[in-house]
Amino acid sequence: MRHRLPDFLKKVLFVEILKGLALTFRTMLKTPVTRQYPKERRDPKPGFRGQHAFVRDAVTNREKCVACQKCAIVCPSRCIAIRYTTDEQGVRHLTRYEIDALRCIFCGYCESVCPVCAIVLTETYEYASYSRDGFLYDRERLLQNWDAFASQLKRESYFNMFWRPAGSDARRLSVGKREQQAIPIRRQKSEVKSTEAGKHGAASGAEGRK
Amino acid sequence: MEQVGITGPDTRKELTLNMGPQHPATHGVLRLTLDLDGEMVTRCTPHVGYLHRGIEKLAENRTYQGVMPLTDRLDYVASVANNVGYCLAVERLFGIEAPDRAQYLRTIVFEMSRISSHLLWLATHALDIGAMTVFLYCFREREWLLDIFETICGARLTVSYPRIGGVLQDMEPAVLESLDAFTRMFPEKILEYETLIDKNRIWLQRTQGVGVISAKNALRWGLTGPALRGSGVSYDLRRDDPYDAYDRVQFEVPLGKKGDVYDRYRCRMEELRQSNRIIQQCIAALPDGDILAPDAPELDMPLSGKKELVPEMSLGNASIAFGDVVPVAPKGEIYSAVEAPKGELGFYLMSDGTGNPCRMRVRSPSYVHAGALAKMCEGGFIADVIAVIGSIDIVMGECDR
Repeated sequence: MRHRLPDFLKKVLFVEILKGLALTFRTMLKTPVTRQYPKERRDPKPGFRGQHAFVRDAVTNREKCVACQKCAIVCPSRCIAIRYTTDEQGVRHLTRYEIDALRCIFCGYCESVCPVCAIVLTETYEYASYSRDGFLYDRERLLQNWDAFASQLKRESYFNMFWRPAGSDARRLSVGKREQQAIPIRRQKSEVKSTEAGKHGAASGAEGRK
Repeated sequence: MEQVGITGPDTRKELTLNMGPQHPATHGVLRLTLDLDGEMVTRCTPHVGYLHRGIEKLAENRTYQGVMPLTDRLDYVASVANNVGYCLAVERLFGIEAPDRAQYLRTIVFEMSRISSHLLWLATHALDIGAMTVFLYCFREREWLLDIFETICGARLTVSYPRIGGVLQDMEPAVLESLDAFTRMFPEKILEYETLIDKNRIWLQRTQGVGVISAKNALRWGLTGPALRGSGVSYDLRRDDPYDAYDRVQFEVPLGKKGDVYDRYRCRMEELRQSNRIIQQCIAALPDGDILAPDAPELDMPLSGKKELVPEMSLGNASIAFGDVVPVAPKGEIYSAVEAPKGELGFYLMSDGTGNPCRMRVRSPSYVHAGALAKMCEGGFIADVIAVIGSIDIVMGECDR
């Protein structure tokens, strides 16, 4: 009976319920952890696999793609289409590059295999569109994606972790990947501080993040 | 089934109730037809297949590397567990062994995914039974783990962090520190959840003696994981058939006695503590070295051994054949299983020498558990069906594949 009595008392006095309530009350006084999403935007971690882009090369001011087709071949959802021409020297020239972002599963294989660090998945995660066409990224659109991403990046330079994953064997990497340096971010426009509300179109969606 | 009127002579006849596939407490698109005698369930028939995406068939058209992101989408709550399970199967087929450091890293992320999966289970299970607070608290802690996943691989849910023969990238010291901070903080949080529900009379009444399945029946129905251990059968692949670094860490396998919803709940709560312990040990014992086996296949491994011209590709064109004449994979069949958070997750791979699996079969715990749901629900009340579904922790992505 001696063991029973405290249990019985606990039950009558709602001890376990009161303990629970005390905990919720203590938590109530702490700072909230919830983010109010449209107002408070979360900065993705570097290397987040978001919207696709072509890195704009500082020298040529164009994409670096050499039409090797590796990304198209490795893509598990087969959402990349590449067309190219070959000149007399056997050099490939990219004529068409398309990513169907609606098919993409954001595995990051394309940026992993790209031997020249041309295609990247940027940290942009807000790029809704009203039409399917808005998700069919061609060369120009991919370059625009990069500009939009680079212009709002808070860091001074950009280096994608898939170019040289930490601890990876350098012998397994292509020359382009081994020699890739962090890309300094040039901001063309004078610091995109805030975009007017309602300008959250497909391309400029990322700029609203601050 | 005849129509049964509310009044009239037939009111005592059985009623068939359709539950799901859009029921909030079925954790996805599980549909149950319940034959009711009053409030008692006399028969329960699970219907699956609403989330069928043909992952097993898709795998036959991808390279071994290309299948990896598909496995993320099986049990999307614990995608690392699927990744590791798949990688281990392919590694055994190819005869590769991941380096020590990669094995430890994989063990760490595996246990992280177990914690995040169990947290989501606890959150939704408690919410189903009526405890809203636990739901919010669990998501608070889960966020920390998802942030770590995001740091190491760039995705929060469909991570694809392990690679065949290793992992994608090394964990930076800062990440390990953050994880270490998590493991120090987490035991307190488990106590918080327990303060809220462990002794709560409503919780006890909803879970104790509900959905009982005996050890014998649990084995007969093929239950694995916490659902089996809740019935008192000591079976854990991490201990019984260790993979990665599990043979080098100490942990206990918690067991239940009665096999009711409460015992399964207790098992998972203890597992949270054990997983936490495993992560701590792995961080402490993390060896230096490579993270990818030297003989691991390249990410762009060839799909076929035959040399064929590349047809001009267009969007949605599924036939790409390329590559030199090289043996792509050894021929053979392999079954390899891991102790995923839900239970035994097995991958059966059949290889005919080409770069894609000739057949991939996934032995998913959720599918087996959904079958055993009928056994556990029959003879109970309708309200208990909700508790039982929560206690077996099914994810329809894995069940329907």
